[in-house]
Amino acid sequence: MTHALKFVFSNYAYLVLASMLFITMLFGLLFLSEYIFLEPYLIGHIAPGMELGFTLIVILTTLSAVVIPMNIYRINILKKSKRKVTGSVFGSFVGSVAGVCSCGPIGFAVFSTFGSVGATGLAFLTNYELPIRVAAIALLVVTYFTTVKSLKIECKII
Amino acid sequence: MAKKGILFGIIVSIIAVGVILVYSTSSVETANTDVRLHGTISTTTGSPIIGSPSAPITIVEFGDYQCHQCYNWFHNTKPSIFQNYVDTGKVNLVFVDLAFLGRDSPKAAQASYCAEDQGKYWEYHNQLYISQESKIDNGWANSERLKSFAFSLGLDPELFDSCLDSGKYAKRVQSNIAEAKKFGVSGTPTFFIIGPNGQQEKLVGAQPYSVFTQVLDSMI
Repeated sequence: MTHALKFVFSNYAYLVLASMLFITMLFGLLFLSEYIFLEPYLIGHIAPGMELGFTLIVILTTLSAVVIPMNIYRINILKKSKRKVTGSVFGSFVGSVAGVCSCGPIGFAVFSTFGSVGATGLAFLTNYELPIRVAAIALLVVTYFTTVKSLKIECKII
Repeated sequence: MAKKGILFGIIVSIIAVGVILVYSTSSVETANTDVRLHGTISTTTGSPIIGSPSAPITIVEFGDYQCHQCYNWFHNTKPSIFQNYVDTGKVNLVFVDLAFLGRDSPKAAQASYCAEDQGKYWEYHNQLYISQESKIDNGWANSERLKSFAFSLGLDPELFDSCLDSGKYAKRVQSNIAEAKKFGVSGTPTFFIIGPNGQQEKLVGAQPYSVFTQVLDSMI
């Protein structure tokens, strides 16, 4: 397993891609979920009861930053199918969308654009924020293991 | 006889016009005195002021009763602000509804004004945030529950129920939402802190007490 990771991330470009994905996603999700505030100055804050949400965001971001570059590597270097990268991007996207669409600006934009229908969708995403994130993490974990397995076979990693 | 009739008609008309003018002028004056501004924000249709009306600083909170971040602020930050700033007369607070998170949100906001009719706006407001459940529109703020909150606070159930069922304050809540949009509020909770010299600081989200302290202390 670690061999597959070393194999992909020994290529500097994929390490940079993973770092950029991690930083961008983590910062974006923490901001949209109100763990980070930019005004009047930059501050981080985890309110009591929001620890689990924070932990899930960190796990989701870490997995996305590992799985997406690994699948891009498969497509670029090995010219393999795009199915797994679709799964990893889908998992990252679903996990990201859950929870950020609540009281914040995205939620309000959805409400302003789609009215009561938007509000219903908004309520669903907010109500099931944690299960959706857990499902997204599970999808990313499955994608990770299948990617590692296929890399082992395709690249003959021992 | 005809001349007398015309003269009588003219006099009646003049008196009628005079009465209309006086009535319309007094209406305008009444409307003007009812306008409540904090900085550039109209809080006329918002909550009653809590804290000293002569406090040099006002916090205007735009919130939703189903918003979990508003719940976080209510439970984690607000008590310290009240203890150190509101109860000491330095700050007062006004709540303005931005009820958008679900179908029960506008109704909950209307219910708070029905409670205001019986002099218990803030008790009802607090009751809503104490009773908030994590899921939006799961029934915790439906009409029946809103009525039961009123009953538990000792409000007259008949008055409250008729107020809520009639939608008496639906326009007031819509007016508050419009005011929020006018000031570019795009999420809840959003706070405008208005200082004694009219300076206005906007804080978005359930920010910690330390941020509020810094802004409030800079204005005192």
